[in-house]
Amino acid sequence: MQERYAYYPGCLASLSQKELDSSTRAISAKLEIELIDMPSVTCCGAGDIHEAKPDYYLHLSARILAQAERTGAEVLLTICNVCCLNLRQANKKLQSDPAELARVNDNLMQVDIPTYSGGVEVRHLLWEVSAGDGFERFRSVAVRSLEGLRVAPFYGCQILRPAKLLGFEDPDRPESLERLITACGAEPIDYPAKVKCCGFPIVLAREDVALGELVQPLQEATDAGADVMVTPCPLCHLSLDAWQQKAANLAGRPFQMPILHLAQLLGAAAGVEADTLRFRRHVTRLSEDVKDKLRLYDPVARV
Amino acid sequence: MATIDNEHLTTLKGAYDVQLMEVSLRVQRFGGEEDSRRRYETYTVEVPTTATLLDCLDAVKDKHDGSLAYRKSCRMAVCGSCGMRLDGGAVLACKVPMRPYVDAGHVVTVAPMGNLPVVKDLVVDMQPFWHKVRAVKPWLDTSDEAPPQTEWRVAPEQQEAISKESLCIMCGCCVSECNSMEADPDFLGPAALAKAYRFVGDVRDLDTRDRLRDLNGAHGIWDCTRCYFCNQRCPKGVDPRDAIAKLGAETFREGLHDGIQTLMTDEGARHAKVFIESTYKGGYLRETELVPKTIGPLGALKEIPFALQLARAGKVPNPLMPHKAKDNAEVKRLWKLLEQQTPRHQERALRPEDVTTAKGV
Ligand code: SF4
Ligand code: SF4
Ligand code: FES
Repeated sequence: MQERYAYYPGCLASLSQKELDSSTRAISAKLEIELIDMPSVTCCGAGDIHEAKPDYYLHLSARILAQAERTGAEVLLTICNVCCLNLRQANKKLQSDPAELARVNDNLMQVDIPTYSGGVEVRHLLWEVSAGDGFERFRSVAVRSLEGLRVAPFYGCQILRPAKLLGFEDPDRPESLERLITACGAEPIDYPAKVKCCGFPIVLAREDVALGELVQPLQEATDAGADVMVTPCPLCHLSLDAWQQKAANLAGRPFQMPILHLAQLLGAAAGVEADTLRFRRHVTRLSEDVKDKLRLYDPVARV
Repeated sequence: MATIDNEHLTTLKGAYDVQLMEVSLRVQRFGGEEDSRRRYETYTVEVPTTATLLDCLDAVKDKHDGSLAYRKSCRMAVCGSCGMRLDGGAVLACKVPMRPYVDAGHVVTVAPMGNLPVVKDLVVDMQPFWHKVRAVKPWLDTSDEAPPQTEWRVAPEQQEAISKESLCIMCGCCVSECNSMEADPDFLGPAALAKAYRFVGDVRDLDTRDRLRDLNGAHGIWDCTRCYFCNQRCPKGVDPRDAIAKLGAETFREGLHDGIQTLMTDEGARHAKVFIESTYKGGYLRETELVPKTIGPLGALKEIPFALQLARAGKVPNPLMPHKAKDNAEVKRLWKLLEQQTPRHQERALRPEDVTTAKGV
């Protein structure tokens, strides 16, 4: 774990998932790491931009990496699976292909954008807190045991696959989330769909196919007796949380599964105030039972 | 004729220094139509320490149960016959050394590939797979173009553009865990789409637009949910998901620049277009714009209750005060510059007359 990070919240945590941003800032303060803001960064160009305009994506990513470099931090911290894969992929291309780096920098210069020299590493919050001294540091701040809370980890795709671009852990048998859930004093629930897709990338264009995918993890986690699910990706969160009732309609059975961002789970265990974790911004609300088990620290008893 | 007795065998093993190990496998058995029960049998075999999963299955078949069914041919990761699941993920059985599992004391589970019907034990019916590959017209279409007098000339970098996709051995490993195919069995899927790009990206092929139009329809490229299982599984480095992304980029290149609106009617393509415009305007993705613009105004009306649910949770950014990244003008300049640089058409191969000229040089 570093002492300072160039912090890249990405589109979702900046707009519709603001609770992820506030929780991340709060848990970082507990861990005593500094998050350096980069006010003029844009979307990383993931997904559709990457697909339809690959060169635009590469330049957008280069511009973000250049800004991260100028903060003086060695690592850009992301809290989104999709940003993680896309920024790492662009970074690898720029770092391993000098001609490509020169071409991109030349274009950036032509429009007066600072250039990138290839000196930044892109890492996800999950990786930083689930291993090494980051994990030790988290354990020392996880003072409120969430005993009795049964948590289903949901990894999502783009933090595991393709391993040659990510490579933090075995993509078929990951265990970083389980390690953190245990460190929170909670109980990790195992189920096969934890490494599968939430369907988000195609939920607007192919809702039926996407919901067919989304049903699986919700169903398996519910049947395995989970109280909540936790995910390191805001897109998975949006899909599992906001599209949950549509998935229930498709499955023909009710789901009432609160979905936590990773930073919210860590925050609850570290005693971050409920007002900062902002569970009110979820479509699927926490039940009283889950609120109790999360031992939400709420000085004015308002969740 | 001399018989080889056990003692002789031991001597031979010594001469070649063959070390043996014991491997245990849990194998899914399923007898086909007359047997509706799937069950697991565990076998333990003694094999050389260099043995692959396929070698172990051969030993099971030789020494324990001759009725065990699986496919194989080349034994060297070339023919694509031996795809199967090892601990839930598709592999080529002949490419996986078993030593690490033995060292870890782990008993592997072997099962047939997913997303294809099982015929018997580890054998799947590849018919749906071939059907989809055939559906993308896996051959070069040079239409009525006059045949070259000598040859079609392709520059090395033009060949390089489709070199990964040309490595496919049609094993089906990429299809096995494809998440979109689980939800939509008619999805063309990673292998067929990688094959499609192999021809869309081929400078000699003259059918690019028709191919792209077909691939943009139902069960086509916009069905892919980007789960990346295909890239993870492919034993030959084809990276089918990347090929699908290239088909998306080709769609945009052909569709936007030449105004072929028919290419851009797919909801997937429309979504991509709105996404790009949204980040162009504000630097960030603005979700409010995505729903109505992707699914059209009538579809959006149907979605009002859902949108209200999102709005109550504060998930819909204010459309009147769109969040803008600071210095967004930089990004607009960048976009304009890159648009000027984008080639309007794919550079085609040298035509026959060029070849004649080239020959004369
Ligand atoms: S990335 Fe797309 S094609 Fe590849 S396995 Fe996933 S859904 Fe299928
Ligand atoms: S793309 Fe790879 S995994 Fe898929 S059929 Fe071809 S060789 Fe096999
Ligand atoms: S036997 Fe030919 S690929 Fe395995």
